[in-house]
Amino acid sequence: MSEFPQNIDPAILRGLLSPRISRRHVLQAGAVAGAASVLLPSVADAATGDASWWASRSKTGQLNFANWPYYIDTYNGRHPSLDNLKTTKGITTTYSEVIEDNPTFYQQIRPSLQAGDSIGYDIIVMTDNAIGLRYLLNGNYLVPLDDAALVNFKKNASASAKAVYANSGKRLIPWVSGMTSLAYNSSKVSTNTNSLKMAFDTSSSNVAKLRNRVGMLSDPIELGNMALLALGKNPATSTPSDWQLAATKLRQQRDSGLVKAYYGNDIINELKQGNLWVGQVYSGDVFQARIGGNKNLKLMNPTEGVLLWTDNMCIPKGAAHPRDAMMAIDYFYDTSVAAVLAYYINYITPVPGAKAKLTAPTKGWQATTMTNLKKDIGVAASLITAAPEVFPTSAYKLKNYYAFKNQGEIDTWNEKFAGIPNGL
Amino acid sequence: MSRRSSQRRGISRLAPYLLGLPAFVWLGFFFLVPLGLMLVKTLQECNPATGACVMTWHWASLSDAWANSSTIIFRSLTYALIATLIDLVLSFPIAYWIAFYAGRRKNFFLIMLLVPFFVSFVIRTVIWKFLLSSDGLVVHTLQALHLVSADYQILGTTGAVIAGLAYNFLPFTALPLYVSLERLNPALLEASQDLYAGRITTFRKVVLPLCAPGIFAAFLLTFIPAFGDYINQQVLGGFANTMVGTVIQNLFLVNNDFSAGSALSVIVMGISLVGIVIYGRLLGSKSIGDFV
Repeated sequence: MSEFPQNIDPAILRGLLSPRISRRHVLQAGAVAGAASVLLPSVADAATGDASWWASRSKTGQLNFANWPYYIDTYNGRHPSLDNLKTTKGITTTYSEVIEDNPTFYQQIRPSLQAGDSIGYDIIVMTDNAIGLRYLLNGNYLVPLDDAALVNFKKNASASAKAVYANSGKRLIPWVSGMTSLAYNSSKVSTNTNSLKMAFDTSSSNVAKLRNRVGMLSDPIELGNMALLALGKNPATSTPSDWQLAATKLRQQRDSGLVKAYYGNDIINELKQGNLWVGQVYSGDVFQARIGGNKNLKLMNPTEGVLLWTDNMCIPKGAAHPRDAMMAIDYFYDTSVAAVLAYYINYITPVPGAKAKLTAPTKGWQATTMTNLKKDIGVAASLITAAPEVFPTSAYKLKNYYAFKNQGEIDTWNEKFAGIPNGL
Repeated sequence: MSRRSSQRRGISRLAPYLLGLPAFVWLGFFFLVPLGLMLVKTLQECNPATGACVMTWHWASLSDAWANSSTIIFRSLTYALIATLIDLVLSFPIAYWIAFYAGRRKNFFLIMLLVPFFVSFVIRTVIWKFLLSSDGLVVHTLQALHLVSADYQILGTTGAVIAGLAYNFLPFTALPLYVSLERLNPALLEASQDLYAGRITTFRKVVLPLCAPGIFAAFLLTFIPAFGDYINQQVLGGFANTMVGTVIQNLFLVNNDFSAGSALSVIVMGISLVGIVIYGRLLGSKSIGDFV
């Protein structure tokens, strides 16, 4: 069982004591070489990503970008922000919505990375709480980014985005963040309580109200961390004995008859179609469902807190067009581009300046694009800026996920939580 | 002359094996080798980060997998059995009618039977989900007719999963049944009636025994994929009706637990193999030499 490595960048270790987001990424990044020395074949090419390596990377005009579905502005089958990348920077992007979930995507790219081959993508987007991203950092499979090329990022990124970058050994840059909380159908569930108890209370009265109407996410990470919150624990500082309590809580919830099933990204459709009345959801999905006409679907701001995650851009080693990827990453931190993305994606933007640009777009490309997108989205940009799902207020108690310190902890976690969706 | 004839006999004895060579190679590479690798993975311990495995001869993986999932395996067997029986009962009259009464329009009716299955398996199942959802056509109609209560649900129930399995695997039952019925010589049915056998006796003593291999083939072709299926359960079911395919998928893709996933796969394949062996012994050809 590998413990944390001794040779971590001091900056990362310092991050252990810094605020919320830093801490998580520190631990992630911390898992890097420690496990690498024991678990992973060593990856040569230590110089990849240093200044001299970057100096010899030049623009090719091509970019292969792998992302999650519905994670970029789309109008008439095109992606205006990528079209604008071509116009302004001369980079043509092949955009693939191939990432459905972190573990599967990691398994897909792992063999090529291990073989030292290109995975075919220059930018990939993975979630900070995902074990797969931890393995990528651990295995030294991500290119340290070119600090000198991050002009917009340094100017416009939020403090937490900058912390992610710094604490990951300069290998991760946030694409968007989001919250995992509960959503409920206010026409079916009348409530004044803002508590996760709605989904976890196994008293006969609650079960009678919500029998077979509660849905949870099947991802063991999401499942376990939310149960820890429901127990009143802070997931980030939880212990294996807390995990046991959380697993027991989840089994009680499941066996009480509350839970209909465990879902992936499609849980939002179950809520929209009325199959579920309460569900564990990603914040932006609820906002999109609501502006899409499901007005009764509400995102809860639980007293216990909500889980905050970040999906990060990174450049895998072997990428054929790293310079183009670098330029694109920085381009997405332009406030106008970030505003367009936020308007469409409806998750938390890492560019605070995007808020002002949403209501007062820059004339030209951004204004035209916003006008076009509005035809599809159907709501004013002011609605987005007012949405707590996109620009969370301080009323939300943002909590971090537990950050695993070694493979043994991951195994313990899986032993406790992974069987629950399978009825074990 | 005699030497030439014995040579010819030798070649003719080898001929079926030579003709079968592409099939043997195909099966060897795409069935036996993966099966062997799966068994090897079962006995190894794998690193979830790298996928690298070390042989530890960990036979306990199999007993652990059985202990953890035997309930789910029995549940999957039950669902697959019920779905297969539903398919047999549904498709026998269809296949019988097409074989004996459709006349020149046999092909037309066969295509009609298959048309829904030109659409992808997953999409068909997802469309069922829309139909059966709480805001969907079926539940709304039943509620409007006051046949069910306001909180009545179909999705997530065992019934929905079995219905989905039965629907999706129907052609796998209907087509082998049709083939065996179509080959049945109608003169035998007339002969049976000439010998004063009634319709039921003819069906029981002539039709059923003659198309038994077809029934068994239909049974296996439906039962085995239904047993390992995970789409129907994931799309139409809930946690209470988890099937073994879902567990295997989660072990491989979510938990990255390759040895546990392989162990469970080996058990599932072993169970399927038992069915195939029974088929081979009872109804299949005993050896390729039978065709010589």
